[in-house]
Amino acid sequence: MKESTNKVAEDAKPGDFTGKLATLADAFEMYQAEGRSLNVGFENDRLNEIRQGQSSGVSIRAVKDGKIGFSYSSKPDELDYVAQAAIRMAPYGKAYDYQFAGEARSSHTRPFDPACGDLNPDQLVAICNRIKDTVKAIDSEALVDCSVGGGIGSARIVTSNGQDCREEQSNFSFFVSLRLAEEGNFVQNYRFGSANEIIPQETILAEAKATAEEFQIARKRAEISKGKYTVLVAPSALSDLLMPIMVSVNGNAIEKKTSRFVDALGEKLFDERLTLTDDPFHKDGVGGGLYDGEGVPTQKRAIIDKGTVSGFVHTLSTANRCGQEPTGNAQRGVSSLPSPGMHNLVMDAGSDNLADLMTKADGGIYLRSLLGSFTSNFLAGQVSGNISLGFLVKDGQLVGRVKNCALNVNSFDLLKSNILGISKEREWMGGRYLPWLLVEGVQISAR
Amino acid sequence: MKDQLTELAKRAEADYCEIRVEDSRQTSIAFQGKDLENVQESHMFGGNVRACVNGCWGFVTFNDLNTLESRVQEAVRNARAAAAANAEKTVLAPVEPVEDVVRLDVKSDPREVSLEDKLSLFGGYNERMLGHDGVTSTNLRYFDTFTHLHFANSEGTWLDREALDMGMGGSAVARNNGTTARGSASEGGRADFEAFRGLEKRFDEAAEAAVDAAKSEVVEGGTYTVICDPHLAGVFVHEAFGHLSEGDNVAEDPRMQEVLRLGRRFGENYLNIWDTGLDNGLRGYLPYDDEGVPTQKTWLIREGELVGRLHSRETAGRMKEKPTGNARAINYRFPPIPRMRNTCIGNGPHGGFEDLIKDVKLGIYAINSSGGQTNGELFTFTAGQAFMIRDGKLAERVRDVTLSGNVFDTLRNITGIAGDFHVQDGAGGCGKGGQMPLPVSHGSPHIRIKDVVIGGR
Repeated sequence: MKESTNKVAEDAKPGDFTGKLATLADAFEMYQAEGRSLNVGFENDRLNEIRQGQSSGVSIRAVKDGKIGFSYSSKPDELDYVAQAAIRMAPYGKAYDYQFAGEARSSHTRPFDPACGDLNPDQLVAICNRIKDTVKAIDSEALVDCSVGGGIGSARIVTSNGQDCREEQSNFSFFVSLRLAEEGNFVQNYRFGSANEIIPQETILAEAKATAEEFQIARKRAEISKGKYTVLVAPSALSDLLMPIMVSVNGNAIEKKTSRFVDALGEKLFDERLTLTDDPFHKDGVGGGLYDGEGVPTQKRAIIDKGTVSGFVHTLSTANRCGQEPTGNAQRGVSSLPSPGMHNLVMDAGSDNLADLMTKADGGIYLRSLLGSFTSNFLAGQVSGNISLGFLVKDGQLVGRVKNCALNVNSFDLLKSNILGISKEREWMGGRYLPWLLVEGVQISAR
Repeated sequence: MKDQLTELAKRAEADYCEIRVEDSRQTSIAFQGKDLENVQESHMFGGNVRACVNGCWGFVTFNDLNTLESRVQEAVRNARAAAAANAEKTVLAPVEPVEDVVRLDVKSDPREVSLEDKLSLFGGYNERMLGHDGVTSTNLRYFDTFTHLHFANSEGTWLDREALDMGMGGSAVARNNGTTARGSASEGGRADFEAFRGLEKRFDEAAEAAVDAAKSEVVEGGTYTVICDPHLAGVFVHEAFGHLSEGDNVAEDPRMQEVLRLGRRFGENYLNIWDTGLDNGLRGYLPYDDEGVPTQKTWLIREGELVGRLHSRETAGRMKEKPTGNARAINYRFPPIPRMRNTCIGNGPHGGFEDLIKDVKLGIYAINSSGGQTNGELFTFTAGQAFMIRDGKLAERVRDVTLSGNVFDTLRNITGIAGDFHVQDGAGGCGKGGQMPLPVSHGSPHIRIKDVVIGGR
């Protein structure tokens, strides 16, 4: 394990080209990325595929006469084409009313595990076999899908304002799923994990075991009727309930004034116990980085601080147009323009034991996942979806799966007035580190 | 190119090998509010090699054609490594090798339309939405992508195929007393840029819908009879039944094969569902799939009974059924998997919208869609607009209408199918297995479904 590079690029192959670009454009930003990966996938209990990926690309934003043009190619040697296309697009583009990133170095570090780039198919196949065996020992009838893999990559950003930063990233991930199609009852349970370094096999197998044990409970049915319920929201579902806040602090929604938070900085809109932080440096968070997609050094910042709206997430453009400071939140792929987004969303832990929250949820629902909630009207606070995996809770235990019911809440209201408890325990879900949340008065529609 | 790819595919020491090389150029335009957010020309070039040994696959992607020979070796090596751990027999449904050159055959080509013309057209739609009182912001995106594909496999198939894909989606956002609502309009296709002109009325209606919805109440949650317009019914058949019909759900799952046995009754006699790649001009049009298999019209439900499913060569082979030309990949970075093309509910015997609504005492008319998701058995999708139905007539507008249900129950609960079939393409696409957005189409007449769970206040 070593730390991610944080330096002016030494292998600046396109160094000469940026000089040429400087003569063609009034200002420019060049983004180059490359990566490689190896993944092993099991489907339907058997090894199905070994996948090896290689990717590369270069994009350029070029300014000519006060306007920005953008172009991209997946061929790393097509710098000339990309530059000319970006300049050709510039007369039609957006006004260059801000400045590309200037020279700045991050003072932080992030983990980088080069071993993620040297994975061996046999090693990954062995882990998948262990996952399958672990799951089958608990439920021999379930069909198992799983995958394990990882890779490394790097991104370099050079601007005409003097920024030249290159950052390496490593990643490792696993996925385990159990499913069983029975007449009138399809059951599926899955978990995934990702990290900046190779995840120990014991951790993966513990997750596989927990997934299988929960799957067994999901095979039992529990009936509920329409009404308002106390709901214990697992981290996997809490992501959905937090989406209205994520969408509302986004610089695009602030700039276009579609967010209800436009004038809410400093206002206490949520429960005192709700604190949400964007932490690009968390060692376990896969969403982080030392620089954002525009080469701006990233920052750890509270978005909601003890219930109060305390920060928005901006690109250089949205920050400028909102009259605010850049926040280092430009997210992008090499083929797309930067847009505002969180790195790692971290919610503060609460003071309750998860077991106590489960006891308090008696007669209520344990919510693991929602289906289709991304179609909800998040800007209005609404979160709706079929409960794809939820359980009835009795005496502090999960007694069976509730089905054919839909949840509909307004998160702005729910997270202000309906929180009964927040767990001390937290769990990573991709780039989100979240606790369990107990809320009351949740509307459930059921047949 | 032909000789190089064909030779390498045939020489590969595998049960089967295919090579895909893809070269695509895209123009895209995006407006946000009054700003032209992006105008972009992009070039994507790359390819993949897929090799199968004893039922196991090796899949390798590349950006540099000069490395192709070593990529083929890597794919074969990976397939062999997988097979060493879990050897089975390779089962690919047989198909006749094809050699074909497919050149673009379009009515009007967007590459012959100037960028200025496109900006004026789409900027005009955007300004039109912004001009409506109460609209606070807009979003409008357009793209056209021209792709040149080369495909060769070890069985002698060679395809040199050009394809065009176009899409546009716009939405207006309105706010009223802290409530935000959206109205949207879209167009898409593969053959006629002129279809994107003259859509001013559609965008006016989208803006008006956003403004009205922001003033309306959230629907009261419960169980309702719902009439879906053709667009939403198309999303329903895609989400609720199309995905269930994809062969990879079934091919290696004996229990699922029992649940989805051919001949099983899924609905009334008037329920007919198909998926087709033959509708030239639609985004779901596909002369050959990404395994080089000619596409077809595949019946899924005829007169209420299950009669077919959507296959890749592997899923067809495992089920001893015929391939249907449904193996698709969004681009060279992914292997082909069973996916839909243009999925439709056929016309029914129940007249028009007025005939469906007249007997509904309390229900919801759900129009358009802002997306949906399924897990095979359950589904959720959200209506773009909705109105209450009271005593057989359209009543007040409601907002945030999310339809949830069980696929099997819901197909049985279709109590009426009108005769006004319509397909409306858009700019979105289908997502599965990390591959999104795949261009697909869907169509339907108005349909009436009883006992639909609606999430609401």
